[in-house]
Amino acid sequence: MKATIENVKEVIEEAEVLGDVNEMKNDVSLSDQGIDSLDVVNVYLLLEEKFDIKIPDEDLMHVQSIDSIIVYINNRV
Amino acid sequence: MLGIKDIASYLPEKRISNYDKKDKFELDDDFIENKIGVKYHTVKEDDEKASDLCIKAFNNLTKKMDINIEDIDCCIVVTQNPDFNIPHTSAIVHGKLELSNNCACFDISLGCSGYIYGLSNIISFMQSNNLKNGLLFTADPYSEIIDHNDKNTDLIFGDGSTVTYISEDALYTVKDFKFGTNGSAYKEILCDEKLYMNGRAVFNFTATTIPKHIKLHMEQSNLEDKDVDKYILHQGSKYIVDTIRKRLKVDSSKVPFDMYEYGNTVSSAVPMVLEKELYKAHNKILLCAYGIGLSWGSAIIEKQNSKDIK
Repeated sequence: MKATIENVKEVIEEAEVLGDVNEMKNDVSLSDQGIDSLDVVNVYLLLEEKFDIKIPDEDLMHVQSIDSIIVYINNRV
Repeated sequence: MLGIKDIASYLPEKRISNYDKKDKFELDDDFIENKIGVKYHTVKEDDEKASDLCIKAFNNLTKKMDINIEDIDCCIVVTQNPDFNIPHTSAIVHGKLELSNNCACFDISLGCSGYIYGLSNIISFMQSNNLKNGLLFTADPYSEIIDHNDKNTDLIFGDGSTVTYISEDALYTVKDFKFGTNGSAYKEILCDEKLYMNGRAVFNFTATTIPKHIKLHMEQSNLEDKDVDKYILHQGSKYIVDTIRKRLKVDSSKVPFDMYEYGNTVSSAVPMVLEKELYKAHNKILLCAYGIGLSWGSAIIEKQNSKDIK
C-alpha cells in the first residue's frame, strides 16, 4: 500500500493524539505541532503495522513530518 | 491447594514530585498525569536495602493476619538490586525475621515480570517438597541505579516492596501460567552502573507482544473477556497500560491503574494492585507483567473462598 496524506493522517488519528488531525500541517514536524514523544512513538508503530515496514531508530530523522513520512514509506513499499 | 492467602506491601514515606521536574525535562501536567501516570515516586532512605523493604512489607502483613514464624518453610525474594552480590537477599531476610532453620530460601533475579515467575516458582517448589507456608517477597529499589538526568527513567520508577503469603488455605489459586522471553532484545533495558531504557523499543514490545500473549493465554485457557473480572497489568506507565488495554479492547473499568502516587515499583507493581483487589467480589483475575529481559509472564488466578468476599 502506498502512503498518502489521507492514510497517514488516519494513522495519526488512530494514535489518539491531542488536537484535530485535519488541521495539521504536512510540512511541519509532528513534535512542533504539539504531538508529544510518546504519541510520536505510537504513530511510528502504527505506521509500521499499517504499511508493513520497519522504521529503525537511526531513520527517525527522516520521518518527522507528514510529507517526509509519505516519502519515506513510498520509497520502501 | 497452595495459593495466595494474603498480600501486604510497603511504600517509603519519602516521595519526589514530578511536577518539580517540569522545567528540567520540559514537561506539562498532561504528560505527567495522562501519559506517564506518575505524579510522585517513592524513594527509600539511603541506608535501606532490599531486605529492609521486605521486612517492612512483612511487618504490614502481620497487621493483616496471624503468622507463626516457626511455620514458615519457604522464603523467596525477587530482586535485581540485592543487598549484596553475595549472599542471596532471602538469606538476609531469613535472618532478620528469625525464620526456622528448616526454611528453604532463594532469590529470583527478574525485573518487572518477576512476580509471575515468583508465584509459579514458589507454588511449584512448595508442592514438590511438601512445604506448607511460604513467603514470596518482591523488592527492587531502583533509586540505587537511576540516572537523574535521564527523562526515560528518572520520572517513572519508585521504591517499594510486597510479600505474598502462600498456603493451602488460599484465597486465590492459580489456574495456569504462561511465560515468554525475547533475549535478543536484552540491551533495551540494561544496567551496567546506571539504568538505561530504550523507551521506543520497550513501548513497541509491550504494545505488540503483550496483547497477543494475553489473548493466546485466554484462548488456551478457554476464557473470554466476560470470564475475567480484572486484568492486572504491570504498571509500567499509564501510556503502556492504556495501549495494551485498547489493543485488547477491554473496558477501562476492568484494568486498574494505580501508580500515580508511587511510580513503577518493578516486580512489586502487580502484587501492589492485586493486594487492593484481593478482597473485592472477583472470581477470575488475569495478572500480566513484562519488561527487563525482555521477559513476560501471565497468570490466571481463581477465587477459592467466597466467604471472604467483602
